[in-house]
Amino acid sequence: MHDITIIWILLPFVIGFSIYLLPQIDRYLALLVFSASLGFGTVQIFQPEPYQLHLLDSFGVTLQVSGQSGYFILTNALVAIAIILYCFNSPKSAFFFTQLTILHGAVNAVFICADLMSLYVALEAIGVSAFLLMIYQRTDRSIWVGLRYLFISNTAMLFFLIGAVQVYQANNSFAYAGLANAPIEAIALLFIGLLTKGGIFVSGLWLPLTHSESETPVSAMLSGVVVKAGIFPLMQFALLVDSINPIVRLFGMGTALLGVSYAVFEKDSKRMLAFHTVSQLGFVLAAPAVGGFYALSHGLVKSVLFLLAGNLPSRNFKELKKTGIATNLWIPLAIASLSISGMPLLAGYSAKVLILKNIESWQEIGMNLAAVGTAISFSKFLFLPHSPELKGKAFSTNNWGFWAAIALLLGGLFITNGFYLDAYKLSNFPKALITIAIGWGAYWLIFQKLSIKLPRVVEQFEHLVGAMSLVLTGLFWMVWA
Amino acid sequence: MAFLETCVFGVIFIGFFGIIFKKNLIMKILAMDVMSTGVIAYYILVAARGGIFAPIVDDAQETVAYADPVPQAVILTAIVIGFSIQALMLVGVMKLSRDNPTLETREIEKIHTP
Repeated sequence: MHDITIIWILLPFVIGFSIYLLPQIDRYLALLVFSASLGFGTVQIFQPEPYQLHLLDSFGVTLQVSGQSGYFILTNALVAIAIILYCFNSPKSAFFFTQLTILHGAVNAVFICADLMSLYVALEAIGVSAFLLMIYQRTDRSIWVGLRYLFISNTAMLFFLIGAVQVYQANNSFAYAGLANAPIEAIALLFIGLLTKGGIFVSGLWLPLTHSESETPVSAMLSGVVVKAGIFPLMQFALLVDSINPIVRLFGMGTALLGVSYAVFEKDSKRMLAFHTVSQLGFVLAAPAVGGFYALSHGLVKSVLFLLAGNLPSRNFKELKKTGIATNLWIPLAIASLSISGMPLLAGYSAKVLILKNIESWQEIGMNLAAVGTAISFSKFLFLPHSPELKGKAFSTNNWGFWAAIALLLGGLFITNGFYLDAYKLSNFPKALITIAIGWGAYWLIFQKLSIKLPRVVEQFEHLVGAMSLVLTGLFWMVWA
Repeated sequence: MAFLETCVFGVIFIGFFGIIFKKNLIMKILAMDVMSTGVIAYYILVAARGGIFAPIVDDAQETVAYADPVPQAVILTAIVIGFSIQALMLVGVMKLSRDNPTLETREIEKIHTP
């Protein structure tokens, strides 16, 4: 298994650069890499025991592969394959596929590394390749959005570096295991880096603009997989150190509520999805020991939704209500919306049950509120008027790759139910259905008519950097307590 | 040592506040560079806690206060990453400067926020 792990982690980088030299078969090479990840991830989920690899001696790189990493790797593979299918007939150049493969490899590296320095390198590699994907269109707006992303993430990672060296000072090693006897400021500094990278709570307010202004396939990749690279290490930390666990859970709850409260008022479909990503990451963090499955179900749903939202005639919900959408787009949209709201038979339901079974008592109210908010915000898609007669370029896509991508992701939602069959006890059904019913009722009675526009001042670049220092101060107090 | 540490953190803070208070995009990027220079200096400082001799094994002298090679080796990676990101950002800024010659962040942000 060790050799396979090494080959698998190197594969995206070797092939990624080869893609640029062999542009004729770029799509096939990328598919090869992602299929390898698909196999590897699936095998890891059924791995009974996590195993560790030590490269070089005690100062070398440590890798740890567990069942939780398996879920994340599987998410990464499925979303990436769907994006390749989606772009199969598009005129995208080999550069795009090179970056996509390298991004995929860097994200995989985060899911299996177990020391702070490898994590830093992987996260920075993600930052650079994600930036290059964002600015692929070369418009001024995309360049600004990309620069802003790189700026925020790089500044956060500088704080992370300071924290990393303090952990080293205490333990003479960069391994995660040393966090337990690291000084408190080290933990706060590491957290600010990861919270920002992972788009959590106020540190995640850079995310909506970035994810909504990127191109459709790039948005799907960012929201489906890339932000999870920031939260996976947080989950690891929470499992390793007992004193960190409640802090991670608290941030999970906070971000779930913050994201959802923005999402219910949002009028723009892509921004709503992006705010919703902020909220869903909270569910993953709310129960660090079992977050992997939720990350998988969310990754599949969110990439479907972004691919669909990019092909709707308008981004504004009001206009969509007027024009309506074609039924063949509405059906996958409805399935995805139902899954994320927690409708039985879809992976979103089992994942939600698993999370809500594993949260502490003080998180109950907050997490259930967030679940209701999810149902409210996705009613906006569910109750769009639709008719099979709507034809024309704006309403339908005749691209086989698009439908293949949607079919793969939605099929994944049905199949991955099998990872947690205990969710299908009769006693779990009422709560899920009541949550959805309350959400839909609230949407029809209240939120449909509201037209409140939340101010976007907090999303300004300087405030984002300023908020970093505030969060850092807050973290210091939390770790002290 | 404590004085040096204060200076290092001072540099990091100056860089961080530069990112917030400088209005011009190029200046912001330079401020980020100042901040990362501070972080690099901090690594060097940590490496020098135990001694400042270059860690080369010498059979004649058994007990020399060597510097710790690990943080130095590690920060080398971070330096390379930092400078490549810097280069990427500056290329982006060059592209932006065609339509926004003043490079004022607020103006650019106003135009590009939908």
